[in-house]
Amino acid sequence: MTMNDQKETRVRDQPGDDELEEELRRTAASLDPVPPELLRAAADAFTWRTVDAELAELVYDSLVDEDALALVRGGSDRRLLSFEAGGLSIDLEVSTAGAARELTGQLAPPQRASIEIRAGSGRVRTDADELGRFRATSVPAGPMSLRCQLAAAGTGPAIVTDWISA
Amino acid sequence: MTASDEPQPRSAEAAAPAPGARADRHSVPDNEVGELVRAAARGDQASWEALIARYSGLIWSVARGYRLSQADTADVFQTTWLRLAEHLGQIKDPERVGAWLATTAGRECLRVARSGSRVVPASEATLVGLGQVDCYSPEQATLDSEQARLDADQARTLWRAFGELPERCRQLLRILIASPAPSYAEVAAALSMPVGSIGPTRARCLRRLRQLLEAM
Repeated sequence: MTMNDQKETRVRDQPGDDELEEELRRTAASLDPVPPELLRAAADAFTWRTVDAELAELVYDSLVDEDALALVRGGSDRRLLSFEAGGLSIDLEVSTAGAARELTGQLAPPQRASIEIRAGSGRVRTDADELGRFRATSVPAGPMSLRCQLAAAGTGPAIVTDWISA
Repeated sequence: MTASDEPQPRSAEAAAPAPGARADRHSVPDNEVGELVRAAARGDQASWEALIARYSGLIWSVARGYRLSQADTADVFQTTWLRLAEHLGQIKDPERVGAWLATTAGRECLRVARSGSRVVPASEATLVGLGQVDCYSPEQATLDSEQARLDADQARTLWRAFGELPERCRQLLRILIASPAPSYAEVAAALSMPVGSIGPTRARCLRRLRQLLEAM
C-alpha cells in the first residue's frame, strides 16, 4: 500500500467525520446559539399550563391541509383553523394586516362562551354570542392559544386549544 | 478562561463510543428523560428546566435548518415548548419526548414556511449564517489572544463553507450539530426521514463540506 492510499483511506474514515461534526457543533454553539431570551420564554411556558382544562387539538389547518392548487389561488394572508375537544369544535379564521391580527371564530354546537386569547405575552378577551360567534381585533403577534369557558359549563373545566405559531 | 479549559475535540473523540453506538448519542439516558417528563407533568419546575437544557439546542437547530426569519424561528421555538407544556400529561412515550419535540418543531417550521406572508426573502436567506456572525457572537469581543483570533477565523471559514452546502445537506447537518448532540431518531423525526438514511446522508454531506473547505 502506498502513502497515497493510506491518506485516502484516512480521509474517508468515520473518526474524521465525527471530528468534523464536533467542530461544526462548537462553531454553531458559538456563532448561532439559542438566544438567552428564548430560553427564558421556554421556562415561562410552564406557567402557561392549564392543568384543569380540556385540550382542544388542532384538526385542520389550511396552511397544511389545503391542496397546493388552493394555496396558489387563495390569498396567503388568511388562515383557517379547526380545533376539537369532546363534542365541541372551534373554527377560526386568522387574517393578518401588518403587525396586527384579526380573529373571527365559531363554536359548534353554537353557544355562549367567554373567550380568552393568549397571544405573544398578552391576553385579549372576547365573548361568543348565542350563535357561537366571536371576533377579536388587534391580537398581538406570536404563539397563540384560545381558552374557552362555556357558559353552559358554569364553573366547569375550560377548554384550551393547541398553541399555534400563527 | 484559558484555552485548556475548553473541551478539546480530540479528547472528546477519544472518549466517544464506538461508531456503531452513534445512533443513540443521548447525554441523558432515555429512562431519565421519561422521568423528567413525568415529574414536569406533576408540576415540577426543575424537571421542566432540565428538559429545556436538554432539548432547546435541538429545537433551535430544527428551526434554523429551515432558514426561517428571526421572528419566525422564535415563534416556532416558543410554540414547541408551549405545546409540550400543554401535552405533558398526554405524551404516550415520555422516553421519546425528544422525537416528539423534533416532530412538533419540524411541522411548525413547515407551516410557517408555507405561510405566504412569511416567506424569507432570498437576500435574508443567504445572509443566515453569515449575518449571524456579528450579532450572535458576543464572545468575539473577548477573544484577544492571537491563537483565539486564528481559531475564530477558522470557525468563520467553516461556517461560510457550511452555508454553501446544498439545502438538504445544510438542513440535516444543522440539526445533527445541535448542542447537546441529538440522537439519529430525533433528527429523523425532525425531517420525517427514515432513521436508516441519516448515517449515509451525513457521510455524504460531510464529504461535500470537506470539498467546499478545500476550495476556500
